[in-house]
Amino acid sequence: MRLLGAQPFAHERALQVAFAPRIGGTLRINAAESGGGFLTLLGVTDWNPGDVIAHIEPSEAGPVDGTAGTDAARLLLLAGRRMSWAVDVDDGLLPGWHIRARAWWGDTNDERPTLLSVGFCDATGVIRGETAGFVEMFEAATFPAQVVHVSEHPATPCAPFLLEQFLRTPADHAAIAADLTQALSSTATTSDDLIFGGALLAQLTHSPMRDTYDLLTSTGLRRQKHADAILLSLGAEARSILRHRTLGYSLQILAHDLRAAGPAMRAWLASSFEPAPRSFDDIRRDYTRLMDTVGAATGARFLILNRMSTSGREDIASYAAFDAPLGDTLANVAAKEMNLMLHELADERDLFIVDVDAAAADLGGAAHVPDGVHQSAAMQARLRTSVLEVLARL
Amino acid sequence: MLLELKTPQIMPEMKEARIETVYARAGQALKVGDRILDVSIDLGSAFQQNCPPISYYRLVAREKGWLRELNAAPGDLRAAGDVLARVSTEPDEPVDAPADRPLRLATAGILGHPMMWSAKPRP
Repeated sequence: MRLLGAQPFAHERALQVAFAPRIGGTLRINAAESGGGFLTLLGVTDWNPGDVIAHIEPSEAGPVDGTAGTDAARLLLLAGRRMSWAVDVDDGLLPGWHIRARAWWGDTNDERPTLLSVGFCDATGVIRGETAGFVEMFEAATFPAQVVHVSEHPATPCAPFLLEQFLRTPADHAAIAADLTQALSSTATTSDDLIFGGALLAQLTHSPMRDTYDLLTSTGLRRQKHADAILLSLGAEARSILRHRTLGYSLQILAHDLRAAGPAMRAWLASSFEPAPRSFDDIRRDYTRLMDTVGAATGARFLILNRMSTSGREDIASYAAFDAPLGDTLANVAAKEMNLMLHELADERDLFIVDVDAAAADLGGAAHVPDGVHQSAAMQARLRTSVLEVLARL
Repeated sequence: MLLELKTPQIMPEMKEARIETVYARAGQALKVGDRILDVSIDLGSAFQQNCPPISYYRLVAREKGWLRELNAAPGDLRAAGDVLARVSTEPDEPVDAPADRPLRLATAGILGHPMMWSAKPRP
């Protein structure tokens, strides 16, 4: 089911309900319920709890979730804020490009914690899973929860970017929009520039950490407050980011995201921003400010995915060949120093470390995190369990 | 004795490596610990991705020698096993014979840096 959004799901243009059967078997969809083709994709059907849309021919096994005595499918609800209505795909769970996507079990109206992921791709895989539909996360969750994921494109969500996003005023938004609009008014502007600029403006002028949420469940609508837990990626904290020369805001755009920009946006980034190097102490201070500010305003607690610090790919006989400080050159030394900084921060603040480094050491980093960031399914499952354990304690 | 520097098979999944930075020059006397090249490996290079799995490595000499030929430039995409350089243990040794063995290298995972080919703006 997909509906055009309206209040109370403000700005959410996709709402889906996925049926999650409690038993395993073969699914037989009633042909009479669907005309096929666009009639299936775009048709509108009244929701009648008595309608039978499919049957499951059960296998020998019992209920997959151990629930005896009920054959009702669970309802996984998914909602998304699209980056643009035109950016769409007609199939699957939350298809297309969403600036924010979320899911929750809709068959209970219980109190539940909300986890907001504003990490980059090492968090995205853990949260949204292989089909981007949150399926693995909700298979693993043994308690009601809402899980929210925010797009990490085109700007990478590092701590100063998130803090400034959280603190901006409407006047700040207007100044950023005016500057960006000026950059896009060049005669060299292309469609790539407009898409990139629009997506960046959407990120710069809205803080997902201020969001509240409407949840539709089988017993009605409930309003959920700000996220209880916010998931970040240590890997998103680069040693050098960009700072706007006149407006002063921070920005980090990874090379592969920059390739999506057209000539006008590239020229603007080159002329209007300057590099802002960051030491490990700077990154620690940025984290501290973010946690203190957002925590005081919303009560959110933070989880951070640390970094794999031993790849198994290296063959270093002596460090004499590398200039000090080694953390400025060697990726694994930098990762160890960043992880250490995070542990020191956890001594001072209410922070949960999701230990990617330990999981990689246990499972095998070379096989399960071959490029140091993107994890295998087994690794994602391990990290997902860690995240859910923290969420269950909140 | 002739030694070869080949594109190393740093990980089993890699098919090729991009030459990112070239530090050494043909004719140079290599010392233990000299930087030779930085390379990047993109495990998803078969098609464009919104977050490609790229990692960076530096190749450092673990033995001395004379760098007689260097066939690598920033931006080159070289298959694993391609000969990138030939090194002799004597300065005037002929280099047209088959190599006796690979050059001993240290391979270190590094951070991306502004000197890299991929960090520079391109049309």
